[in-house]
Amino acid sequence: MTDSTPVSDIDLFDDAVLVDPYPSYTALRALGGVVRLPANDVYALTRYDVIRNALGDWESFSSAGAIGFNPMVNEALTGTSLSSDPPVHTRLRATLTANLSPRALRGLKDTIDAKADALVGKLVAEGSFEAIDALGRALPLEVVADLIGFTGHARDNMLRWGQAAMQVIGPMNRRTAESFPIAGELYAWCSEVTAGDLAPGSVGRGIFEAEARGDIPPNTAGHIIHQYLGAGVDTTIASIGNLVALFAAHPDQLALVREDPALVPAAFNEVLRYWAPLHAWGRRATRDVELDGVVIPAGAKVAILFGAGNRDERHYDDPDAFLVERNPVDHLSFGYGPHGCAGQGLARLEGHAVIKALARRVERLVVGAEVRVPSNTTRSIEELPVLEVIPA
Amino acid sequence: MKIVLDRPRCEGHGLCEEAAPELMHLDDEGELVLDREELGDADLAAAGAAVRVCPVAALRLA
Repeated sequence: MTDSTPVSDIDLFDDAVLVDPYPSYTALRALGGVVRLPANDVYALTRYDVIRNALGDWESFSSAGAIGFNPMVNEALTGTSLSSDPPVHTRLRATLTANLSPRALRGLKDTIDAKADALVGKLVAEGSFEAIDALGRALPLEVVADLIGFTGHARDNMLRWGQAAMQVIGPMNRRTAESFPIAGELYAWCSEVTAGDLAPGSVGRGIFEAEARGDIPPNTAGHIIHQYLGAGVDTTIASIGNLVALFAAHPDQLALVREDPALVPAAFNEVLRYWAPLHAWGRRATRDVELDGVVIPAGAKVAILFGAGNRDERHYDDPDAFLVERNPVDHLSFGYGPHGCAGQGLARLEGHAVIKALARRVERLVVGAEVRVPSNTTRSIEELPVLEVIPA
Repeated sequence: MKIVLDRPRCEGHGLCEEAAPELMHLDDEGELVLDREELGDADLAAAGAAVRVCPVAALRLA
């Protein structure tokens, strides 16, 4: 039997690849749109069109028990919208997004804009700061805590719980093993949380009230809150840290947004395209699927490489350049289709608010070297010292 | 040609309105309204762009 499927010995979860996957992505795209990776026992999807088509085709590429790269996490995610297919998915997703869709969040824009502007104003006045803690983590933690109504113990643990919930999606390596107990703390807390633990008037409290009214099935409120925190914190932290680093590195691009604030949404799209917050996301082939001339056999594990698709030269001109005027509204970092990021409306509110505030208050940021540490699922900057702010 | 909305899938992200403001808009409640479903040749580019940018694949051409 001849098999023309491209094969690579790249390990997607190798420390060096996780810190900077882009050279590996370039090599994988050159091999083909679908590349078999024996190190991870997956078929990797590498090119834009292949990824987008697969994300839209839930009948061929199932999410059920297939999102993560180890059996324990896939077991733990069973019954969530993330890890199910239509028609079950459709109902779970509606419950999840009832409080998270742009229409539900309309009233929040001014509040988030004000929070971001106050935070950036304070940091500009200080003149030097560590951007990941002071801005990248500070804003999403405050926004999500206020939205869901986290207080006390839960609020204090949001960062480590959110990081662990993403880390355990990787293969069963040391990072995953160390993170499972922490992800378990979040799971246990969400199993026991009651309406009274969440701030009055918050969305979290509202979800429990909806459960009490019978609007959503019994015992689902805790799961929804688990997903809000698990999916909504670490990823947004990554994208806000990334945008600070990218505008620091490209002051000409910040100048374009300063001259034309209508570019804010385009700039955030470009930040997300340029550095995807998530490395790889799983699916399972439900049948023999031919993609880009390769047959992915029924039952095979598939790894979707968002960041590889976002740099595909077949789809974006000059893909390795950071250009805010490009407006890549079809980037893959939120996924696409039925499982497209449920929190993207909130992520946009936060990202746009920070870019607006930076464009209004900052001419240039002088930064030191960024620190990155390998992480299984989320690709983010660990530390980014801002040494000097040249104010607007 | 027609533009078809899968209403339950639509979450009101509004990217389609930016791509094709002459064909659709979000109302005051954030619900998508198709202002014109039957498309002329002149609408096809904008309609195709709206379908393409919907992040949850709630729009299609038929």
